[in-house]
Amino acid sequence: MSAPVQLRSTFVEGPSRPRFRHLLTSEAVKLSSLRSSVALVLGMVLFALAVSMLYAVTAEQGGIPDGPSTRFSLDAVTLGTVVFGQIIAGVLGVLVITSEYSSGTIQPTLAAVPRRELVLAAKALVLFPVLVGAALVALVGSWAATYPIYEALGIQTGLTAPGFAAALAGGAVYVGLCGVFGLGVGTVLRSAAGGSVVVICTTLLAPVLTSVLPGTDAVRAVRLVLLSHAGDSMVRLGDPELGFADVSQQYLSPGAGWIVASVWAIAALVVGAVALRRRDA
Amino acid sequence: MIRAEALTKRYREKTAVDGIDFTVSPGQVTGFLGPNGAGKSTTMRMIVGLDRPTAGTVTVNGRRYAEHRAPLREVGVLLDAKAAHRGRTAYKHLTAVAATHGIGSRRVREVIGMAGLDDVAGKRVGGFSLGMGQRLGIATALIGDPATVILDEPVNGLDPEGVLWVRTLMRRLAAEGRTVLLSSHLMSEMAQTADRLIVLGRGRIVADGPLGDVISAATRSVVRVRTRDAARLAPALAAPGVSVVTLLDGALEVTGRTAEQVADTAAATGTVLYEVVAVTGTLEEAYLTLTADAVEYRSRHDAGEPAAPDHRDHSKETNR
Repeated sequence: MSAPVQLRSTFVEGPSRPRFRHLLTSEAVKLSSLRSSVALVLGMVLFALAVSMLYAVTAEQGGIPDGPSTRFSLDAVTLGTVVFGQIIAGVLGVLVITSEYSSGTIQPTLAAVPRRELVLAAKALVLFPVLVGAALVALVGSWAATYPIYEALGIQTGLTAPGFAAALAGGAVYVGLCGVFGLGVGTVLRSAAGGSVVVICTTLLAPVLTSVLPGTDAVRAVRLVLLSHAGDSMVRLGDPELGFADVSQQYLSPGAGWIVASVWAIAALVVGAVALRRRDA
Repeated sequence: MIRAEALTKRYREKTAVDGIDFTVSPGQVTGFLGPNGAGKSTTMRMIVGLDRPTAGTVTVNGRRYAEHRAPLREVGVLLDAKAAHRGRTAYKHLTAVAATHGIGSRRVREVIGMAGLDDVAGKRVGGFSLGMGQRLGIATALIGDPATVILDEPVNGLDPEGVLWVRTLMRRLAAEGRTVLLSSHLMSEMAQTADRLIVLGRGRIVADGPLGDVISAATRSVVRVRTRDAARLAPALAAPGVSVVTLLDGALEVTGRTAEQVADTAAATGTVLYEVVAVTGTLEEAYLTLTADAVEYRSRHDAGEPAAPDHRDHSKETNR
C-alpha cells in the first residue's frame, strides 16, 4: 500500500503542547457557561444575605448580648452563608462532574485530556476560588448590610475586631472546601442525586445523627471531626485555654477546623481521582 | 494510522472485543461495520483511551493515545451525537474543548462554519435536533485539525444534505492524507464512502479488506439470461465450475461465466437472448452474509428464517 504524504488543509494556531493553564481556562469556560452553576452561586449569595438580614431584624426578640460581642456577631453574620453555603457549594461540586457524565461531555473532556486526574484538579482549582469569592461576598455583604441594625442596638462589631476577619475568611474557605468535597463525591458516585444526598447527609444529617447516639468517647471523637463541625469551628473565635482541640469539650480550634475540613475535601478529591483513573469513562 | 494488536475487552460475563488485530491506514476511508453489540463502539473507545483494554494494545500513529502530547491535534473522535451539555451553547461547548489545547476562537468559528452551525452556534444544545447534534459532534472532532478522525455513526439523524456533507467531508479528509475510521449501519452510504472495510461480528473480525474484495468474497456474482431456448443454451454453457439454475420465471442464472462469455456461447449456438444482466452482490448482501452468525439482537420475526438471504432464494422470491 502506498503511504500518502500527510497533507493538511488547515492550520490551527495554538501551542504544540497544551499546558495546565489551558485546562483551567477550559474548566472556567464550562463553569461560567452554564446558567445552572451561575444561578447556584448567585443563589447562595442572595440566600445568605437574606438569612443574615432576617436574623438581624429579629435579633432583638431573640435575645441579644448586653454590649458588642464578636462571638454574637460572628454567629449572626455567618449563619446563612455557612449553613446554606455548605449545601449549595457541595451540590454545585457534585454537578460540576456529574453533569459531564449525564450529558456525555465527559467523552470529549477525557479525550482531550487523557491524564484524567488533571481534569479533576482543574475543576477543583476553578470551583474553589469561585466559591470562596462568592462566600466572601456573602459574608462581608452580610456584615455590611446588618451593621446599621446592630449599631442601632449598640452591639455592632467592626471588621477589625480581633479574630473577626479571620473567622469570615474561614467561613469562605469552608464553603469552598465543601464544593471540592462535593466534586470528589460526585466523581466517585457519578450520580447527581446520589452525590447530593451524600453532601446533605455529611453536612446536615451527620451532626444530628451523632447527637442522638449515646455519648461514648468514640461518638464524641467522630462528632469532633465531622465536616460541618470543622466548618463551625472555622467561623468561631478560638479559646486559647482549650488548646488545639479538646474531645471532652467538643472543641476544635479554628486552625484545627481548617485542617479537618481540608482533609475531608482533599480525601474526597483523591478518592475521586483514583476512581476516575481506574474506571472506564 | 491506527494499529490494534490482540485488542481485547472483557466485561464480567461478556467478551465485547475478542483479540482483534487490524490496521487503519492513512489516505483512505475505512468503514467499520458490524451488528449492534459487535464491539465497534468499544473498539473506538479503546482507541481514544476512554475504555481500557483487558488485553492487547492499540496505537494511533505509533503511540498509545494517552502518550500523545496534544491528543486533539492527533485524533478527533465522535462517539455520541450530542455529547454536549444541554444547557451550554454550541459555541461555548466548542470553546471549552478547544481551550484544553490552547486553540482560539478563530478555529472554533471555522469549524462552526464548516459544520453549517453558524445560525445555531449561540443557541443551547438542548434545543438541537439529532442532526444538529451530529454536526456539533463532527465539529468537535475536527477542532484540533487531527490527522486521524474516528466517527461512530456520524450520519445517524442527518438529512440528505447532511449525509452528502459527511460523505464529501470524509472523502476530502482521506484525500488530504488523513486516517478516517467511520462506522455506520447505512450500507448504501458506506458503499459510497469507504475504500476499505473492517467487519466485526461478536467481537471478532469477520472481514477486512478493500470494499470490492469484501463484497465479492461474500456474495455471488451471477449472470441472468432470458431466452426462449433455455433447453439449448443450458447444456452449451455446462462446464466445470459453471452452474446454471433455472429460475421460476424461466430465466437462467449462470455462475462462473461473465456476461460476455454467456452472450458468446449463445451466439455460437444460435440462441436468441432477450436479456443478459450481470448481477453483482451488494454491500448489504455481503454484510448480512458475513454477520449472519454474529447477530446479537435479532428481531423476533427473523428467528426462524436465515438472516442472510441466499442470492438464489432471493431471486426466486422476487421473481415469483
